[in-house]
Amino acid sequence: MARDHVGAKSGCRSLRKMKAARFVIIALLIWSLGPLAWQLYTSFCTDQALVTPFASLDQRWTLAHYESVLNSNPSFIHYLFNSFFAGSVSTVFTLILAIPASYSLSKLGQRSALLIKCLLIGCALFPYVLLFLALLEIARYLQLGNSLIALAIPYAALSQPLAVLLLTNAFSDLPPELEDAARVEGLSVLQRFRWVLLPLISPAIASTAILVFLFSWNEYPIALTWISDSDQLTLPVAMARIAGSSIHSVPYGPYAAATVIGSIPLIILVMVFQKAIVSGLTTGAVKG
Amino acid sequence: MPLLLLLIPSLLLLISVFALPLFRYGWLSFHADSVMTGLMAIPNQGANWQRFIHDGRYWQDLLQTLRFAFVSVTAEIVLGLIIALILNQPLRKRALIRSSSLIPWALPTTVMALGWRWIFNTPYGPIDRLMQSALGRSLNALGEPSIAWITTVYADIWKTTPFVALILLAGLQTIPSDLYEAAKLEGASSWICLRRITIPLLLPYLGLALVFRLAQAFGVFDLVQVMTGGGPASSTESIALYAYWNALRFLDFGYSATIMIGSFVILSSLILIAWLVITLVRNRAAGAYAK
Repeated sequence: MARDHVGAKSGCRSLRKMKAARFVIIALLIWSLGPLAWQLYTSFCTDQALVTPFASLDQRWTLAHYESVLNSNPSFIHYLFNSFFAGSVSTVFTLILAIPASYSLSKLGQRSALLIKCLLIGCALFPYVLLFLALLEIARYLQLGNSLIALAIPYAALSQPLAVLLLTNAFSDLPPELEDAARVEGLSVLQRFRWVLLPLISPAIASTAILVFLFSWNEYPIALTWISDSDQLTLPVAMARIAGSSIHSVPYGPYAAATVIGSIPLIILVMVFQKAIVSGLTTGAVKG
Repeated sequence: MPLLLLLIPSLLLLISVFALPLFRYGWLSFHADSVMTGLMAIPNQGANWQRFIHDGRYWQDLLQTLRFAFVSVTAEIVLGLIIALILNQPLRKRALIRSSSLIPWALPTTVMALGWRWIFNTPYGPIDRLMQSALGRSLNALGEPSIAWITTVYADIWKTTPFVALILLAGLQTIPSDLYEAAKLEGASSWICLRRITIPLLLPYLGLALVFRLAQAFGVFDLVQVMTGGGPASSTESIALYAYWNALRFLDFGYSATIMIGSFVILSSLILIAWLVITLVRNRAAGAYAK
């Protein structure tokens, strides 16, 4: 509001600023979405049209790439389900561990809370790719390979820092009188959680859940090493396998079709939850 | 005390996934464990470390990883800051901007890594066609060692810049506008406002974006593995990729573990240094601001 008022005072300058902003927005859109649009275009082109785009062709457009991707064995849709499944299980597992942990962290004395927070930030900064070899050994030892459910264990661990920090923050923001009042009313810990605390921090839970889900959906190195059964692959690994089939020639048409199909759920997710994602990321950035 | 009990499962999981591997690597790095030994761990008196210190390919990869990290993160922060500054005003299409900035960030890296392989394909990709008609020669963006690493940096910038801009924009919007009004009344120019108000107050955001992005970029793996496979001539190989080759292609687990723990020590000290420098700068800026 205040800024609008200032803008009205120096009208000419703010008009120029508005124009610059509009230009930047359009540039940003082209920059972010352009490569995706190119994949969309590629996915509908015949192989001939891709190699010689300017020649006059009998057939320029085709759905063959989509057919080949969807009719392959296993169908590409299967990988979407795998990723969705791994993502959901990991999210639930992460929250089950992180919600009690952050509740207790928000009640701890300042010094010990700070120590644990530093530990969490240290883990968040850890280049986790370096863990894959030992995690692979653990998976082999405990026979956790080729299981989408087992992936939830490393994913929950890798998500703990973000989840615990975000949720601790939400718990600390609640006025302590609330819980005291509920305690005086005779509510047990579980009841207080269920009826007082959880509803109040539900926005933070939503932000956390969506971020953890996105992370698990996209995670590559661990999924790559833990899962070899082609029925159980997650989406990122299945994508990379198409490339790995040959270094020199990649079937770009079917691949582009796969990109498009693989992107649609994420694009919908981002559009629906953009507010929750941004608020989660920014609180994470400020308070972390 | 029951309060602490609630923390234990979470911490146990963290320790077993983050700390156990490090001990395991430390132990493995003093053992030969490869196809040669029938995948049995046999103590080898620090031979792995001898090899590590003299492994030219590793140090080359380390330099390449650092080059990748510093160039891409610097570009992302500078570009992100410029975009955020221009967008920092009441905007109507906020939801649209948010979504379009988040989409590149939210897509799996491998998805677009292959997309880039097609876009930078020689000679059929759009970039190469453009170059052919503009310069009359092919760019060979993924086949030329001196250019391929820039192409991977570009892909990383594409993915992360809008996201960095979004975080910085959120930071900008926490700065109260009356600060600027007061400065304007005192006759401060826009440049002074930027230097004395915006940057100091944005430092926590900038510092965090910097440290987290650097930490991520040091571990770059997905992007190069899929986009270039480390080539051409290992010019885009990162240390994570080299460790991966050693474990799963050369099946030399002992040496791979040595690379992991060695890289861990090097990278964490770099991140620690970056963190200290940023805290120092932030404190000094806060001091200057308080005066």
